[in-house]
Amino acid sequence: MNHTDKNIVQYKPLPGDFAIWVFIFAELLVFGILFISYAFTRKYNLELFNHHQQFLDRETGAINTVLLITSSYFVVRAVDAIKKNMSQQSARWLALGLLCGAAFVVFKILEFNEKFSEGITLSTNIFYMFYLCLTGFHFMHVLLGMVILAFILVKTHRRKYNADDHDGVETGASYWHMVDLVWIILFPLVYIIR
Amino acid sequence: MTRFAITSSTKATLIWLLLVLLTLVTYGLGKIGYSGTFVITIVLASVLIKGHHIIADFMGLRGTEKKWRWLMQGWLLLIVAVIATAYRYS
Amino acid sequence: MKYQSQLVAQKYFIAALSLFLGQILFGVIMGMQYVVGDFLFPEIPFNIARMVHTNLLIVWLLFAFMGASYYLVPEESERELYSPALANLMFWIFLVAGALTVLGYLLFTYSELAALTFNELWPTMGREFLEQPTITKVGIVIVALAFVFNIGMTILTGRKTVVSLVLLTGLVGLAVFFLFAFYNPVNVVLDKYWWWWVVHLWVEGVWELILGAILAFVLIKVTGVDREVIEKWLYIIIAMTLITGIIGTGHHYFWIGTPDYWQWLGSIFSAMEPIPFFMMTLFAFNMVNKRRRDHPNKAAVLWALGTAVMAFLGAGVWGFMHTLAPINYYTHGTQITAAHGHMAFYGAYVMISLTMISYSMPIMRGKVANSQAAQTLEMWSFWLMTVSMVFITLFLTAAGILQVYLQRFTDTPITFMQAQEKIEIFYWLREVSGIVFLIGLIVYFISFFVKGEEPQGVEA
Ligand code: HEM
Ligand code: HEM
Ligand SMILES: [Fe+2]
Repeated sequence: MNHTDKNIVQYKPLPGDFAIWVFIFAELLVFGILFISYAFTRKYNLELFNHHQQFLDRETGAINTVLLITSSYFVVRAVDAIKKNMSQQSARWLALGLLCGAAFVVFKILEFNEKFSEGITLSTNIFYMFYLCLTGFHFMHVLLGMVILAFILVKTHRRKYNADDHDGVETGASYWHMVDLVWIILFPLVYIIR
Repeated sequence: MTRFAITSSTKATLIWLLLVLLTLVTYGLGKIGYSGTFVITIVLASVLIKGHHIIADFMGLRGTEKKWRWLMQGWLLLIVAVIATAYRYS
Repeated sequence: MKYQSQLVAQKYFIAALSLFLGQILFGVIMGMQYVVGDFLFPEIPFNIARMVHTNLLIVWLLFAFMGASYYLVPEESERELYSPALANLMFWIFLVAGALTVLGYLLFTYSELAALTFNELWPTMGREFLEQPTITKVGIVIVALAFVFNIGMTILTGRKTVVSLVLLTGLVGLAVFFLFAFYNPVNVVLDKYWWWWVVHLWVEGVWELILGAILAFVLIKVTGVDREVIEKWLYIIIAMTLITGIIGTGHHYFWIGTPDYWQWLGSIFSAMEPIPFFMMTLFAFNMVNKRRRDHPNKAAVLWALGTAVMAFLGAGVWGFMHTLAPINYYTHGTQITAAHGHMAFYGAYVMISLTMISYSMPIMRGKVANSQAAQTLEMWSFWLMTVSMVFITLFLTAAGILQVYLQRFTDTPITFMQAQEKIEIFYWLREVSGIVFLIGLIVYFISFFVKGEEPQGVEA
């Protein structure tokens, strides 16, 4: 009798290069610690946090959330397309994803610009210190993610990937989703809940 | 394949819709300016749902080894739980 | 050895090891002065000995990094060194400049040396680790630039590998951040602020790239594991190093007059600096476990694993211990710092240098590996030095904890010198461990001269 065979479950590997996953785990750890520090610092500076949070720009925050989610979605479609060997469609989805990322960057720069022109800096108070650090650090990740996306976009466009060989696309996609995931927590934490 | 199977693209689109909807709810709650346990619970629950789907479906962890899913979903759950604690007793 | 020009590395390594001996001798002298205050006074005052100890450390590590690069880069790039003549010339310039500087420290008072070297024209002297006269600093820059040029040309015109590119990035960073040594503002806050750009961004930034690259190279050679696997690890390690290490500089900006937010940034980011060191440990052990061949140079493998463990302990664990602002508030500038400084420098940079020397010296001397007898002795020296360094660290940590308690934490604090008296026993124990370290180093030197039947095998 051979009942072991039946019990073998076929697991998928993590999508993309394993290296990016170790990197993602490490990055999530960094953000996790930042989020937890924020939450507990707020606990001990309740009035200050609640007061200044009102002045954050929730509208751009929300628009930016939708942009990142949508961008992530486009990148999912790009991976789907390359799995079906449709590299040009895939490149188009990637381009759309990149476009959303760029829009995010523009809105974010406008938002930062407004805060800076009000004379707000890291030293203004502990709330703004966290606000600028969290959003600023995330912002740099958006930029890095976009560089990676642009890189795989070019390669996809040149038909360097196909149904059998698209590790690169999945690698970039995984990182980009991580950037999205972090924002999904950051936005309500810093802009909304009180 | 059954008749009701939906393609992975359709599924992704549905999830995208869900994510956008939840974001609008979150924003709406912020806009009204309500605060308190009730709002925080709803917002954090929506973070959990959104995060869960991004991890499982967008990042594609569904169907991978248990340890990876535990690691990622566990991270999400932990962060949200810690935030909830910090906000609950504030 | 695949390329003739790799041989220049040998003289760099010999110089490095000689200066290492000097460094340890002065360490032991200072350790004695800690307990017998007038030991060798007035010939060698403590402050001079300290300067010689730390400067020799930096200089010999630079020699070792250069030697390691001259050995590693031709092999990775699959071509001869761009200019062996330049490498030779720079060796002598660096050695003479280094020797003159140390002689200057020992023969003149520091202020005489400053006057003699025209420090007033561009004052850069008088800061820890950067005590060298300005002209010596200029010499270091020239040597570093010529070196980076030589290595860069070799890499860029040859086969480009991840290992050699990471190494090059680290070396360029090393040269660039040293430039901050020339900036010496009058404002003490600003002075300290930029001083850390050399000191911290070296050891917790660009040097880590050099460390990672050399470790990866040696592991490729001794384990035969696929290059792709090793490169992946290297990528992640350097990414984590830079993410955490750059903003982590903030852990030196807690109490020097810099803005408050550094207490947050410094604590949070530097608290994660142990991650890349931990990954290096996982990396080394993983690769050795997956090895495809058993390299006859067992000593080199031991050094490589030792580096991975001790770097994590010294930098990761002992660094973490005092890196959060509320803790550093008490431990800042105490013996805890010295404990960490010793184990981190030894575990990361001394050991990686010895790893590379252990791997490459036998090859440069025409054999795959040393004889069994020589390797056994070398392994003895490994254990003597490493264990005594662990003890130095433990004794200093004990001294530090007591110091913090007596002098800063208790409700009835006592003064610095009173506290020092109470912890004297640990300084004696440190000195004993230091002497064992010196013995270990001598055993290490002897292992180079032990003959015996050399193992046969293909050169890797
Ligand atoms: C490879 C081995 C060694 C390394 C890498 C090393 C490194 C260092 C470093 C980086 C410092 C400056 C510490 C700081 O600024 O906090 C230092 C200082 C010092 N070292 Fe070493 N050292 C080594 C071996 C020794 C030995 C064997 C002894 C002797 C017992 C010794 C005794 C001292 C003393 C007494 C100081 C001055 C501490 C002070 O100013 O209070 N070192 N060493
Ligand atoms: C191989 C890597 C490292 C080396 C060689 C090293 C070496 C040193 C040295 C020599 C000092 C004393 C500087 C002085 O003269 O004031 C120092 C200070 C310090 N190091 Fe490191 N370190 C390393 C990594 C780390 C890491 C990873 C951390 C944190 C996790 C860390 C945390 C600290 C802190 C907080 C101080 C300041 C101590 C004080 O306030 O007195 N170091 N380090
Ligand atoms: Fe540091």
